[in-house]
Amino acid sequence: MRWSVIWDYREALLSGLALTLEITALTAVGATLIGILIACLRQQPSYIAGRLAETYVEVIRNIPSVIKVFFLYFVVGLDAMPAAVLGLSVHQSSYIADVLDAGLRSIPREQSEAAWTCGHSRLQIFRHVLLPQVAATVLPPLTSQFIEIVKNSAAAMLLGIKELTFQTQNIDVETFRGFEAATAVTVIYLALSLSIAGGMALVGRRLTWR
Amino acid sequence: MAVRRSAFGPAEPTALDRWIWRGLVAFGLLLLIWLVARQRWEVVVASGPFLLKSLGVSWLLTITSVAIGLPAGILLAILRAGGPPAVRQLAVAVIELVRATPQLMVIFWIFFAVPAFTGHKVPAWTAAIASLSLIAASYLAEVVRAGLASVPRIQTESGLATGLSRTQILLEIVLPQALRNMLPALIATIVMMFKITSLIYVVGITDFFRAVILINNREFEPVALYTTLAAGYFVCCSLLSWIIRRLDPKYVLAQ
Repeated sequence: MRWSVIWDYREALLSGLALTLEITALTAVGATLIGILIACLRQQPSYIAGRLAETYVEVIRNIPSVIKVFFLYFVVGLDAMPAAVLGLSVHQSSYIADVLDAGLRSIPREQSEAAWTCGHSRLQIFRHVLLPQVAATVLPPLTSQFIEIVKNSAAAMLLGIKELTFQTQNIDVETFRGFEAATAVTVIYLALSLSIAGGMALVGRRLTWR
Repeated sequence: MAVRRSAFGPAEPTALDRWIWRGLVAFGLLLLIWLVARQRWEVVVASGPFLLKSLGVSWLLTITSVAIGLPAGILLAILRAGGPPAVRQLAVAVIELVRATPQLMVIFWIFFAVPAFTGHKVPAWTAAIASLSLIAASYLAEVVRAGLASVPRIQTESGLATGLSRTQILLEIVLPQALRNMLPALIATIVMMFKITSLIYVVGITDFFRAVILINNREFEPVALYTTLAAGYFVCCSLLSWIIRRLDPKYVLAQ
């Protein structure tokens, strides 16, 4: 074993890390936005809206993320990066929608009705009644969803995006030091997941303080 | 008596709602059929047997990895719950490490680690089964842990009080109930594993995903082929999800 390859390839690994972070951040934002939309659709007092949201979640959930990414790339014809981010966002949004839906469902609807009777608008009810309560309960499952996004971002390498997992394979092809590279990259992924968990725990503490 | 509908939260459907929904579904299906019918299906039909065989490979990978992963997962969960401290830490480390690493990385890792230690290249199938089983075992260990926790502690205590050994209590009282309680979660893990098998093509096994890519490389018919691909996975996973819902209507698929 020769661990110096890791140092020799530090720039490649760092640029891979940057790309992984970029994909993760964009996907986290996209997936959360779509997830909020779907969860709100499910909470609407309309049967049709609820069924539409349910169908979306059901269809998206039963297809592997790689296939969505490939479909967007080869059939729709997007570039590699937008295809990866959009595909992964759509994939994770179905799980995030479920998390948010469960959170919203845990709040009795009488609270919304009472606020409505007091003359608050729907937006005000969401902002001042639902959100503060939901945010705290939803944070732990949301954390694991974000960690899931870090892991799923590895699928982007299959489109030739030079992120962390791609660099592993690249180091193996050039130096036959796949084991060292894979170990180093695994440690990086672990550090990423841990820092997301730590960051979300900090946010959670802020939320419960007030 | 008419019940006033609340302006908040999911609503009970009226008869009209149900008809509107059925209409929408029919319209959606017709639109889908119209879109799909315009594609060239000769390629898919011509490679039908090849595609079916590769779908079988995907199922084989899924079933094998769960068949190996379940006993290993039960073992990991038991070690995590009641092993000696060092073993317990090791079990936690394995479970958390695999669960925190991208599945693609786990596959690469097995593929690279074995040659690094033994000097021999691993056959693709061995690497595939080993990595998928490792993934299944780590996720199932958590499922089993939840299952074990679902059996009230008082049963273990009662067992001890009546003079049963710890092994007897585990095998004859706790585990049978735990396995029944975790059945929906177990099938959910099978769904997850079936989706993960789509990554295994990186080691060169012709599963359903790779079969479609190979045909597409030769014939270039992306729309028809990728639609078939999505439909194939959707049908297989929906089947499993449907079984979960039959078993436990309130079960939430977490992953």
